[in-house]
Amino acid sequence: MKCEQYEELFAGWLNNELKPAEKEMLEQHLTGCPACRAELASMQQLWAMMDEVEVPEPSANMKTDFSAMLNDFKTAEANKKGTTTGIKEQLSWLWDWKQKWSLAFNLALIAISFGCGYLVFNLAGNSKQDQQMAALTSQVHELKQTMMLALLENPSASERMRGVSYTGEIKHADKEVIDALLSTLNNDPNVNVRLSTLEALTHLASHPEVRAGLVQSITLQDSPLMQSAIADVMLKLQERRSVKSFRELLKQKNLDHGVRDKIKETITQLI
Amino acid sequence: MNSLADNTIMLKVKAGDLDKMALLFERYHRPLYGFLFHMTYQRETSEDLVQQVFYKMLKYRETFTATGEFVHWMYSIARNTLKDQGKSLKQRVKHENTDDLAERLSGGLTPEEHLEKKQAKLGLYKAMEKLSDSHREVLTLCKFQELKYQEIAQILDISEIAVKTRAHRAMQELKSIYENTER
Repeated sequence: MKCEQYEELFAGWLNNELKPAEKEMLEQHLTGCPACRAELASMQQLWAMMDEVEVPEPSANMKTDFSAMLNDFKTAEANKKGTTTGIKEQLSWLWDWKQKWSLAFNLALIAISFGCGYLVFNLAGNSKQDQQMAALTSQVHELKQTMMLALLENPSASERMRGVSYTGEIKHADKEVIDALLSTLNNDPNVNVRLSTLEALTHLASHPEVRAGLVQSITLQDSPLMQSAIADVMLKLQERRSVKSFRELLKQKNLDHGVRDKIKETITQLI
Repeated sequence: MNSLADNTIMLKVKAGDLDKMALLFERYHRPLYGFLFHMTYQRETSEDLVQQVFYKMLKYRETFTATGEFVHWMYSIARNTLKDQGKSLKQRVKHENTDDLAERLSGGLTPEEHLEKKQAKLGLYKAMEKLSDSHREVLTLCKFQELKYQEIAQILDISEIAVKTRAHRAMQELKSIYENTER
């Protein structure tokens, strides 16, 4: 073993950390190696001298400085903790609340979802829906009107009557419908159709042209049933303009007696 | 027993009982100051560094795992703190305390012993100042902190054999400087 290989043992020997076997090995080497013996001896001397090297005492400020630093640190930590625990507490409150009111919370969520959905669809689509609805209504309206007008041209009396009955479903009859009805009222060969038409027109009496048409129609009717029915309608509508037409009708020589009496009575009531 | 208690105290600090750090300060601020003084030879700097080390131990208390000894952890942090300040420290003059130390050593000796011992210790002191940092570090930990090689190995994060070799080389260097220093 060369001298360098005892370095480890030198260090161990100085710090008194050698095991008995290592100590014996080193001592064996030292007896046969004067150089190593001298080196270790001088090292040992220095090593011992180092024990006497003193370190200056730290100043009394150190402790107060440490206390101040510790307090500052604690304050900083408390502030840091304060903000984070604050948030945590709020979150945990929400969590507790959610758990306690789990069902209510879920129901509320569902209600809110539906509400939002309703609002979104309605706000976005309300006017659009209304427009669509109006368009559809007017389409149906037009369809019914077209159908009614077509039906009034139908050769079958029952079909024409069906057409007339559709007018009850037409809320805002336009001029075309009124004209068609008045035309049917005056010209339809079937008395039942004309009676139905009269009834339909009575419902549309709020239109001035209907009233005017009905008054004009009085002299054009030759059927006692129609003449009697118109008299009833005029009395119902309290249409004074009809008196003139009725007096015209009274001039007709072939007028039914029963009708004649009824018209006279109607005129009396209207005047 | 003491080291077990150290770890227990530090674990309490880690758990949030920050006041317990005062106990560890009471126990270790002197040895730590001694280590830092030998590494810097500047009193005020050493005191500042002690504060910094304790501050870091508070701040990074989460990193203390108690798998090793508290003192090893403390010296590791002290070494890192020194490294951070290393460059600025090296620029400074290291001999400011030599005369101060001589004054301190002068009491209680006969005039003859006084002179001889004073010169010998001054020589050793100056020789130590001239040691390289890594050599002075290992000798300081060994002699002044009274740590075993195995403990130093943990602090320096090298093998125990490497510590012993370094200690031997440090003593060789110290001897060489000491013998060649004029007294």
